[in-house]
Amino acid sequence: MRARQLLERHRRALLLTLALLVISPLFGVYLAELVGFHEPLDIAAEELGLEEITEEINWTPFLDYTVPGLPDWLGYVVSGLIGVGVVLALGLLLLKLLERK
Amino acid sequence: MHIPDGFLDPATCAATYLITIAVGVVAFRRARLAGEDAKLLVPVLAAAIFVAQMLNWPLPGGTSLHLVGGALAAILVGPWLGYFVMLLVLAVQALVFHDGGITTLGANVLNMGVVAVLTGYLVYKAFPERWKTVGAFAAGWLSLTLAGIACGIELGLSSQFLYGLSVTLPVMGGWHALLGLIEGAITAAVYAYLKARAPGLIAGGRA
Repeated sequence: MRARQLLERHRRALLLTLALLVISPLFGVYLAELVGFHEPLDIAAEELGLEEITEEINWTPFLDYTVPGLPDWLGYVVSGLIGVGVVLALGLLLLKLLERK
Repeated sequence: MHIPDGFLDPATCAATYLITIAVGVVAFRRARLAGEDAKLLVPVLAAAIFVAQMLNWPLPGGTSLHLVGGALAAILVGPWLGYFVMLLVLAVQALVFHDGGITTLGANVLNMGVVAVLTGYLVYKAFPERWKTVGAFAAGWLSLTLAGIACGIELGLSSQFLYGLSVTLPVMGGWHALLGLIEGAITAAVYAYLKARAPGLIAGGRA
């Protein structure tokens, strides 16, 4: 019910979100590789002498928006779709919890 | 801005989780009273900000620009629902993509879902109606700057890092004050677009 309401009311916003997702590898993969991108915080942390342990304790197959077996650009889009799906599902769950009694 | 696992000591992780959960309880109670239109916007806005954060524009030298979205969320749905918009984004990023740590999720939500959202909301509200687009810019800029400073405080207080606040604050605060100009510009541009094309959405953030 809420899902249908969401689709009807915000169809344009959702379509725009999907369109941005399709072009996202241009930014997140292509340009990132072109200029040797690192997270700003990682660079600051490097200056500060911190080490992250993400790789050692990783729990997800989709680390850093990749999908095993897929090229980076396609993995980025598929990761985005998975992320949008999970965000929308959890968001609908939240709406249920926020319903006024 | 997303603090990964390993950057904060257990005490700082626990403290930031506690503050974030406490704000979450208040936010939940207040968000229940929000209008239906604003509530319905939460999942869509969270999905849009999730994707917007994937559109990072890398800069030579190894940094990048992308929207964080805390101020934008606060402007569109108010601070309490805005907290949940950012919580959705940050939780999915951490749990599904390990973008930001799980031990540091409390700190990341505190920075981007509490500090950025509340700052953005208060700054936006402080501007008179005819200057709201400028207000959206200021909200975006200050929200990112203060979120960066909060991040610097957490790193500085954490015993993982030996140099303390005198080093972490200027590095994180200065960096994000600069990146905040882009956050402000994007926030103002999206705000101006929505005000012209979908004014009903702008009116949603009244909670």
